[in-house]
Amino acid sequence: MWLFWAVIDVTADADQSAVVRMAAGDQAALAEFYDRHGRAVYSLAFRILRDQRDAEEVVQDVFAQAWRESARYNTRRGSVMAWLMTLTRSRAVDRLRGRRSRPENALAADPRAEITDAAALADEQLAWSVRADRVRAALDALPVLQRVAIELAFYEGLTHAEIAARLEEPLGTVKTRIRQGLLKLRERLADS
Amino acid sequence: MSTHDAHAAFLESASLYAVHALPDDEQRAFEEHLRTCAVCAQELRSFDVVVAALSRGVPQLDPRVSLREAIVASRERAPRMPDRARSASRWGSGWLAAAAILVAAVGLALYTATLRQEITGLRQQLRSALVRLDQADRRLDAATQSVNASQLRIAVLIAPDLARIDLAAQPPAPQAVGRAFWSRARGLVFTASALPPPPVGRTYQVWVITANRPISAGTANPDDRGTITAFFATPPDIPVPVAMAVTDEPEGGVPSPTGNRYLVGAAQ
Repeated sequence: MWLFWAVIDVTADADQSAVVRMAAGDQAALAEFYDRHGRAVYSLAFRILRDQRDAEEVVQDVFAQAWRESARYNTRRGSVMAWLMTLTRSRAVDRLRGRRSRPENALAADPRAEITDAAALADEQLAWSVRADRVRAALDALPVLQRVAIELAFYEGLTHAEIAARLEEPLGTVKTRIRQGLLKLRERLADS
Repeated sequence: MSTHDAHAAFLESASLYAVHALPDDEQRAFEEHLRTCAVCAQELRSFDVVVAALSRGVPQLDPRVSLREAIVASRERAPRMPDRARSASRWGSGWLAAAAILVAAVGLALYTATLRQEITGLRQQLRSALVRLDQADRRLDAATQSVNASQLRIAVLIAPDLARIDLAAQPPAPQAVGRAFWSRARGLVFTASALPPPPVGRTYQVWVITANRPISAGTANPDDRGTITAFFATPPDIPVPVAMAVTDEPEGGVPSPTGNRYLVGAAQ
């Protein structure tokens, strides 16, 4: 695991420096920033929206916003990655909510339709894929109804009341499920 | 509600807030409380690792190259043109021209050698790029499969025509419990727990029972904790299910149920 943490530390430093340079109008820093995080941002947006074109638009919005707000970003506030992921989730869920009020789209485009950009740092990808596997294992180990409730909140943007209605279960049960699931995840992720 | 009780309620809300499960009014109230409560702020931060995991723990997909261009190229400065100003020079007398030809010939030979080297280098790069592309393809296949599996599950659960059927234990597995979510358009999500391993040479088969006849949804085997979580596509034209059942059947399944019943439940 030391490789993972070493890579994350290096990445965090590089992120701070990229944001500072973006704030100064350095466009190469934006390219570097995209190469480092474009894949993660796209993957989360795609997971939420399940549509290539929508996910791509979210990625564009997120990096445009990151560029605009880099000057206001306070480097002591928290990790750049967390900032970027929060931005991505909220943009994607907003779009999902907008889409829900319209008729459902046709099936998502096949992501293999075009050659992909595999240029991101290999070490970093490796470290993250190790981590992503572990996270998925932790999620898979949750009782299915806890997991489903968490997924409906985080990836589908539903509130606890909406989840309760959806699963035909009392609100209290749903809240407990989400909380217990998250406590278990916190414990498992802290262990490893 | 006393201040102490209110604080306890907020503390419980921290996890729900972290995954954005609070409705707007509760969210605002929690944020208000957060400003003055270090304990709740600390509790909220303790879920950072979970939120990061949910954000990064999704199947990783490579975006299209064109997306990078759209984001980066528009802001990148055009590369500086090479300085050509000095290349226009004056070639005067004949011997100078001859010397120039000689220099050009030597230069050309050197240039050819450089080109050859470059071609060899490019061939190597191309080979390694193809290897990388092949690896990326395989990763993408695996990721796409995993996305598809969880999408199918979620698609059922958010279907407008969702129906739920609870299944109760039968004598062969008195502890077992099951639940199914069915959507005509999107299929069946089935979960069960505390099932014993099926008898040797047999497998569990899940049945959707309609007014006319039982229809097989498919076969599934529990993991080592006795849990089954499975998605089954069901034909959209089947009659409305009136019940569901799980039986043990010969490996590979059978067209209509013959074995012991382990779980049975009627539609509500």
